[in-house]
Amino acid sequence: MEKILDKQRLDDWIAVLTDWDAFAPAVEDDVWAFRPVAGAVRLDHPNTKQPPKGFAFPQREVFFTFEQIKGEAPRLTQKLPQGKRRVAFGVRPCDGRGTVRMDRVFADHVDDPYYQTRRNNMAYVGLACNKPVSSNCFCLSVGGSPVGSDGLDVLMTDLGERYFVAAVTETGKALMTVAGDLLKKPEVADRQRLKDLHAEAVAQPQRAIHDADGAPAKLKASFKSPLWEELAQACIGCGICTFLCPTCHCFDINDEVTGAAPLKGSRVRTWDNCQFPDFTMHTSGHNPRPSVGARLRQRVCHKFQYFFENFGMHQCTGCGRCISDCPVGIDIVHVVNKVTEHAG
Amino acid sequence: MIDVQSIRDAARDLLTRGEVRAVIGYRRGSRGMLAEPVTITDPEQADELVWDATCFHNLALYLVEDRKALAHAQRTPTLPIAIIAKGCDARAIVVLMQEHYFKRDEVYIIGVSCEGGGVLVEYKLARLLNGAQALSAVFDGDELVVTTAAGEVRLPASEVMADRCLECREPFPKEHNVAFGEDKTGRQLAAPFTALGRFEALSAVDRWAFWRRQFERCIRCFACRSVCPMCYCDECVVDSITFPVAPDTTAEEKANRIRWIERSAVRSENITYHMTRAMHLAGRCIDCGECERVCPVNIPLRLLNNKMELEARERFGYEPGASIGGPSLVASFRDDDPGQFIR
Repeated sequence: MEKILDKQRLDDWIAVLTDWDAFAPAVEDDVWAFRPVAGAVRLDHPNTKQPPKGFAFPQREVFFTFEQIKGEAPRLTQKLPQGKRRVAFGVRPCDGRGTVRMDRVFADHVDDPYYQTRRNNMAYVGLACNKPVSSNCFCLSVGGSPVGSDGLDVLMTDLGERYFVAAVTETGKALMTVAGDLLKKPEVADRQRLKDLHAEAVAQPQRAIHDADGAPAKLKASFKSPLWEELAQACIGCGICTFLCPTCHCFDINDEVTGAAPLKGSRVRTWDNCQFPDFTMHTSGHNPRPSVGARLRQRVCHKFQYFFENFGMHQCTGCGRCISDCPVGIDIVHVVNKVTEHAG
Repeated sequence: MIDVQSIRDAARDLLTRGEVRAVIGYRRGSRGMLAEPVTITDPEQADELVWDATCFHNLALYLVEDRKALAHAQRTPTLPIAIIAKGCDARAIVVLMQEHYFKRDEVYIIGVSCEGGGVLVEYKLARLLNGAQALSAVFDGDELVVTTAAGEVRLPASEVMADRCLECREPFPKEHNVAFGEDKTGRQLAAPFTALGRFEALSAVDRWAFWRRQFERCIRCFACRSVCPMCYCDECVVDSITFPVAPDTTAEEKANRIRWIERSAVRSENITYHMTRAMHLAGRCIDCGECERVCPVNIPLRLLNNKMELEARERFGYEPGASIGGPSLVASFRDDDPGQFIR
């Protein structure tokens, strides 16, 4: 299904999606974030500071609550996510591919009802990047495309005054069907314009990982390389790179106790981060990843080696967030290039 | 305007003559024009060093990291380590020495004056450039000289500078072994505590509403703590490893350890984290503003630390980072203390 939408009618389309809670990028405190739609939506955002990852994998997920009266068996109440279906507009293609990778981990690989419930409730309406949205974009060199539709339900392309709207999945078709007459049949000229814009988009200069295909083997051979410590020298061990990443999915599970008599509380999953020094700290006090180099190696090798070995695809989608927002200039493009070049 | 070559020469000479074991400075990174921290040990690397408006980082953090690495390796170096320090960075180094984190002769301070500038804020610059990509940015007097593909642009420094730099009273590193640039101590681009003053003009209800919203937004990446040279504790109240484990510690004891702050990034826990940090920085924070710069969701964290700084100043006449041998705010007592509670 391929249609044309006048830009002024985007809000009307969102308005008729009454079975859905709609989200779109909005700027607050100089930060772009997916916010519930309130008022006019203008899809003129660079990319959101945080990817749409949190829709299906929120930073905090309550699994169940518990209560135990002394001497009795504990009572558990599962807390599966509930609510209206949700749709996010303006998702960039790199983040669509991020979703594909999250699905591998939480839907294909294991059976995670929390992730799956949220994911099945979610639709992503993508927006092609006619131009790179950041100076650190590198989607093309990791197998993606600024106009790609992987992981999206609909892909919109900005033709100037109008959007070209293409369904990618059945959910996408359903969203477009609700729009009825708002969506028009594309003219031949629209299709030509789309083709031209897409061709221009993929020809835009981006940063590049030079040998992403060779990375898994080369990284494997570089496990003991002294480069890791050198490249991580400035790392301060914060969580920005992983918390802003569209594919990082490590988590921690804790019991948060809210009362002692009777004992009650919640079992909660929260994001965790391999760059925190205590991430791998054992109860004995031993830490198998004791240095910044060991931790950078983990992050990079997970993206470009381990994930590839497990799922046949790189985990990195080239959004560039970890580069742009690193407080001290750690740059995954530079790191992968440097280590792979050194490996020969 | 500071000639970067003089800084490079100083670093090279120190390393060549074997007077220091390393130099902590800035070099051009791989992502556009931005500088990044680097520690060099080879005189040949001195030519990599840069000095411009993107030398944001308070490198005193790496003195702390160096100290921790030495302690871990149980090594006592014979040579000092050199560091490039702006006015604020030098004050941080003074506080660390005041707290006996290291001794004066263990550090060689290459002071660099910010003169009429400081560091820029990327989004302020981006707004003024209207989409053009900056290739370099250096302060020259009261102006920022920016090169773009279209040529050179001169912008008023005050329009692109960080708030912390506008309010800076000491853009010259008073504590130094060698210093470059003009001493413009006392320059007033904005009155001290201007940003805080704007905030304090709000009612208590509005201020609380403001912080409730800000703390709701925190994602607990801990970049503010990680980048802070004063947050050097080996164990931190927010980490899960603060619980000492011995061979006879039982599983139940581990499970029931006291957790002051849960890992959930929710308002109550976030408030506890930020309040704890602010209190621990009272009389220690020298307003380098790094916490505010690195926050990925732009929480104006300087307001918290500035508030503590202002309280210390108004009530006790205390200036953090003023002298190595001077008293610390929370560990000193004065006979003429105006507070009645002390008697």
